[in-house]
Amino acid sequence: MTASNDLAKPGEYKPIDLLAVAAAREVKDGDIVFAGTGLPMLAIMLAQQSIAPNAVCIYEAGSIDGRPIDLPTSVGDARCAYQASVAAGLTEAFYGQLHCGYVDLAFLGGAEIDKYGNVNTTVVGDYCSPEKRFTGSGGNPDINALARRTVFIMVQEKRRFKENVDYITSPGWRLPKWPSGEMAPKQEVYGSFFRGGVEAVITNMGVFRFDDQGLMYLDTVHPGFTPEQVKENCSFDLNISRVSGETKPPSYRELELLYTVVDPEGIFLP
Amino acid sequence: MGKPQKITLKEAGALISNGSMLSFSGFTIWRRPMALIYELVRQGKKDLHLFEVNGGTHTEVLAGAGAIKIWESCWVGHELYGKLGEAVARGQCENTMIVEDYSHGQAVARLLAGAYGLPFFPTALSMGTDILNPRFDMLDKAGLRDGSNPKIPLKKYTVAQDPFFGMGEILLMPAAKPDWAIVYASQVGDEGTVRVNAQTYTDAEVIKAADRVIVLAEEIVPDSYLRTEPEKNIAPGYTIDYLVELPWSAHPTGSQGYYDVDADFIRSFYAASKSKAGYDQWAEEWIFGVNGHEEYLAKLGITRMEKLRANKVMGYSTRVKRGSR
Repeated sequence: MTASNDLAKPGEYKPIDLLAVAAAREVKDGDIVFAGTGLPMLAIMLAQQSIAPNAVCIYEAGSIDGRPIDLPTSVGDARCAYQASVAAGLTEAFYGQLHCGYVDLAFLGGAEIDKYGNVNTTVVGDYCSPEKRFTGSGGNPDINALARRTVFIMVQEKRRFKENVDYITSPGWRLPKWPSGEMAPKQEVYGSFFRGGVEAVITNMGVFRFDDQGLMYLDTVHPGFTPEQVKENCSFDLNISRVSGETKPPSYRELELLYTVVDPEGIFLP
Repeated sequence: MGKPQKITLKEAGALISNGSMLSFSGFTIWRRPMALIYELVRQGKKDLHLFEVNGGTHTEVLAGAGAIKIWESCWVGHELYGKLGEAVARGQCENTMIVEDYSHGQAVARLLAGAYGLPFFPTALSMGTDILNPRFDMLDKAGLRDGSNPKIPLKKYTVAQDPFFGMGEILLMPAAKPDWAIVYASQVGDEGTVRVNAQTYTDAEVIKAADRVIVLAEEIVPDSYLRTEPEKNIAPGYTIDYLVELPWSAHPTGSQGYYDVDADFIRSFYAASKSKAGYDQWAEEWIFGVNGHEEYLAKLGITRMEKLRANKVMGYSTRVKRGSR
């Protein structure tokens, strides 16, 4: 690597670059990471190339600690299993790794989110007669349910940051307890299976975290935006009283890694 | 039961009657039994009940043709090559298909119960989500949880208390026991031993859970070859009922060690699938316009297929263009 650890200046990187870099910085060295398709893959691979060389990645189709040298386009991709410690299946990924408690960090996407971090990837409108169908849950709620920490990577739009999501696909900090549907904290819903929950939400405008009540607040704002602008792109009354500063931009080295090592084919990056 | 019976693709299609409950091998856009999916559409199958841990391009081919009545799953799309499952979405939004959503891990639990001969399997995955909202139990809403169909459980799920360690509430998910597993496998022995390369997905579980099993084999090899490394195999021959040898039968989905996902093919199918008319035109060209698998492959052409062919060392194609650079 020839590039330095100096930080890039505005205009020298794209919003998607900062999204991937900010997400990668959430990985701790040694974390066992369970990642979804897309930006979560870029982020974990960048983290492994930079700050977290000992982080391990599990994909739900069954590759355990794979070492892909070509970016996968699906969690079931042949590339995920390259140099894997174990190439198994979904039973191993969901039960043999996740349910039994190995997973530290869930790295996931979402279409809509509410102030408690509940995510919707299923439908727009009433489920019984929806206006629009998304892909559906996939493993998102499972991984998010039983990992110790979850990071969501999302697009920031007013219609996506909602007071209440139309359908709770993936559990945040305050949830319906079925079959009654009474709302309760995640700790209560999961009881002895509780291990943690949503730690951060990273968008193209900022990084969000959650307070003791499980309510989302803005932690850092990306360079070029103000906290007020972020709040305007939220349908609920976003807490911007705890902003700790600006999100650190990507370094030249991180950008070089992203474009020459992680995604040289331009699969997710433009 | 002994060795699987070798049959043709057309014969395999004819075995599936309207209204059957089906499940498949593979994962989203990998190792799907596409050739038989096309054949089911060609034969005009209707009212199919799909239970699958996740959907993909094959689901959309069936849904676009109006072949699905019930879809129990958790996800449908074409990964990077088509972000939604347009035909399933139309079916759900227009109420022409019954969609019953589970989470991925819950769907695996249902399949595990079916595979292991258990009535249910416990899980703590995805509690507190709208998947469990009783108002969204669509099979119940349709009056289909009355016990008249032995393939439809009386309840979507139930909540139980851990009786042994005091761990509190846990979900019990009912077994899924499809009429048919339709499987694509990398290699099948002449006595029916099944091998798949790399990730096993839920292929072994699907085989065990189903009443009867049809396997499309990329190639048939001597069983004695597969038996030199039995740890690489996922099922013995006596669990397989019918076998069709059909190279490239997973196309346009990928098969580790044989060929990559055909990204351009899936992208153009996805674009077509956004309307019923677009789907019909696509199906006219690629399903009804060819009289079987050989004509389909001839239409694809050798140049395209050589680009997709997997590198023997890497297990996937290193020549196919996937991104913008």
